[in-house]
Amino acid sequence: MENNPPPLKGIRVADFCWVYAGPYTGMLLGCLGAEVIKVEGHRRTDLLRHSVMWPLADPAPTPVPPNEGMAYNSLNMSKKSLTLDLSKPEGVAVAKKLVAISDIVTDNMRAGSMARMGMGYDELRKIKSDIIVLSLSSRGQGGPQKDYAGYATIHQAIGGGAYINGYPDGAPCHTMGDVDLMNSNTAAFAIVAALYHRERTGEGQFIDCSQVQGVTSLIGELMLGYEMNGQIPERMGNAHPQYAPHNVYKCWGVDRWLALEVHSDEEFVLLARVIGQPGLAEDARFANMAARKKNEAELDRIIEEWTRERDRDWMADEFCQAGLAAAPSRNGEDIYADPHLRERGAFVTVDHPDWGNLELVGNPWKMSGEEVQLQRAPLLGEHNDYVLRELLGLSDAEIADLREQDIIM
Amino acid sequence: MAGLALEGIKVVELATMVAGPYCAKMLADMGADVIKVEPPEGDPARQAGPFPKSGPHPERSALFLYNNTSKRGVTLNLDVAEGLDVLKRLIKWADVLIDSLPFHSLKNLGLNWEVISELNPSLVYTVITPYGMTGPRAGVKGDELTLIHAGSLGNLLPTRAESIDRPPIKPGGHYVGYHCGLSAALATVGAALGKYKTGKGRMVDVSLQDTIVTLMRPNLAGNRYQRSNWSRVPDRPPAMGRMETKDGYIVIGTPEDHHFKAFRELMGNPEWIAGKDWETLAYRTHHLMDVRTKLDDWMRQQSKHDIHHSAAKMGIAVGPINLAPEVVSDEQFVYRKYFIDVEHPEAGKYRYAGWPYIMSATPARVSRPAPLLGQHSQEVFCNELGYSSEEFEQLKRAGAI
Repeated sequence: MENNPPPLKGIRVADFCWVYAGPYTGMLLGCLGAEVIKVEGHRRTDLLRHSVMWPLADPAPTPVPPNEGMAYNSLNMSKKSLTLDLSKPEGVAVAKKLVAISDIVTDNMRAGSMARMGMGYDELRKIKSDIIVLSLSSRGQGGPQKDYAGYATIHQAIGGGAYINGYPDGAPCHTMGDVDLMNSNTAAFAIVAALYHRERTGEGQFIDCSQVQGVTSLIGELMLGYEMNGQIPERMGNAHPQYAPHNVYKCWGVDRWLALEVHSDEEFVLLARVIGQPGLAEDARFANMAARKKNEAELDRIIEEWTRERDRDWMADEFCQAGLAAAPSRNGEDIYADPHLRERGAFVTVDHPDWGNLELVGNPWKMSGEEVQLQRAPLLGEHNDYVLRELLGLSDAEIADLREQDIIM
Repeated sequence: MAGLALEGIKVVELATMVAGPYCAKMLADMGADVIKVEPPEGDPARQAGPFPKSGPHPERSALFLYNNTSKRGVTLNLDVAEGLDVLKRLIKWADVLIDSLPFHSLKNLGLNWEVISELNPSLVYTVITPYGMTGPRAGVKGDELTLIHAGSLGNLLPTRAESIDRPPIKPGGHYVGYHCGLSAALATVGAALGKYKTGKGRMVDVSLQDTIVTLMRPNLAGNRYQRSNWSRVPDRPPAMGRMETKDGYIVIGTPEDHHFKAFRELMGNPEWIAGKDWETLAYRTHHLMDVRTKLDDWMRQQSKHDIHHSAAKMGIAVGPINLAPEVVSDEQFVYRKYFIDVEHPEAGKYRYAGWPYIMSATPARVSRPAPLLGQHSQEVFCNELGYSSEEFEQLKRAGAI
């Protein structure tokens, strides 16, 4: 395992993304060892740098000082920051120099925006013939809706993911920024596959990724089921088509809940024992899966009668030790306090000039070999000098000139 | 000339249901040679459905058919010595092993990471478990419902809730499994690239819980350091949320001032949101809830698809909450040729969901439908592993296949 460097070591990414899905794509490539240069205009920065997330008490971002936004700090770890005004040709010229020494270019602007700045794929491949370019847009490049705007929740709605979330008797609901981070995963996968192809053949390519369709690919069996039988998938809350019990139960305290799922008759015997009613396993109403599903409401009532007077975390331990699948419905505080996640090294601590120590979620997986240590997200323009001088070889006079013209900060 | 991005990567999949199989499907549809190893009774996804009108059938489960395209399938009984021997030869053959068997299954068969990496030092070994290979909860059982709550996403749902007294819920479908498969696919293809360059393998430990926690990273940091509270917050249209129309629901977002002004214009500039005050974010932040009923009343007069197009053309971020048939017929999906026809010998020909990425040099494709149970056992064991046909018959007699 020694001397096994991170797989993307030596790969450089020019990252022209902002907000959620695009920036996290770059960060994931960084988690695999790539050097990621985030490019922003200093007068039009990634708006997450100075936003708190929804929903605070507010339905919209409230400005906080630059560099302090938590979403920004969570989604741009280990990157280097270069400021460039891309609305001016001088800024674009520097960006093209960066592309010339990069392997990957990413953007999540509206379809066609990069081309309008003279940085479409056809232009960029003239600068670097084997470049891999990812455009991560809402509906994809081309097509009748290519100019429509969207956010995570909207992509989930259009792609069919939101309709199936919710109580059976309630409205459908979207989830949140997780939809964007999922699309980052999808996009990063396509990029690394393209890198593999380039490694073998020397050929680069353009990747056109639609965030709406990223959603649909994760409900593939429901789409296929509809094609097969014409039945529209509906909302089921916490229920499962076959399994019971399969629900989230009220526990002692305020807004505390326990998730519990039983997949077999053997597991139900264990559950009946844990709740002190072993006889339930022989009760004709609950003795097999079909019977339990039929009498699910009554079974849920019996289980909740037991859970509502007991401590959530104690019960979760009891069930898990008995060999069952149970978990507290954790909130943010519970996650940070979870001894399992702490022992597993799920968090990394970085030093932030405004915040002091920040404890943030670390790498999405554990990989043997040389470990990628995630670093603090960069301050705006923190690496201007490194990129312009060391990587691009610009002289002091040239850099001063760019500053003079307000191309960089 | 179109090539295949992952051509030449040999993958052995020891996985069932969603996470491991979807991970391997992503590689297979990109050109990797994936051999799916099923127990003699088959992947339980074969029993899960949804099914065609004709009813349950192990070769007609949509969950199995979708998640196992472009793979070859073999059966192997790992409880008999001959079966385990075949697995060892598969491990030597492979570049990548994807394992989502119950915790420590391979270890209990004598195949821990040290033994595996001795068999094949350049192997990428991706292990998918509910809680990971380390930590006090390693080995604890879990699936869709428990892991979505263990990882903290479930606690926030339903968003735009109408009551805090009802339990938090899971999203529909196999949310955790697919997202974990996606994360595992990214880590695995990364590790496979590293192996291609250096010849060195590695172990990749991917867990269902880590997957969800990772997706929640901005929420978790915001919750801890800026005290943003996300759990089942009530509706605050039209900032960023669901609204009801006369024929269904939409999601609409007007976070910036120009979005709101465009939305107001679309509504015909009603006097109850007239005035400069409403054009500032801070004012809307505190007062949108006050006019919620009026906004809702207006939206209930609109039709879902009309408002989608009229609002989108004014620069407002908006989308209909589509049902399955609406997704299939969506003009943008049609334009991008997203759905693809796949013909399966037992299930028949249907449209399958494709891929969100269109790659100019190496487009994804389905090379073959999901395998029938044990369909390629002889082909794989004899052609890839070099068993003679007599040896293959012996494996059968020993109950290994």
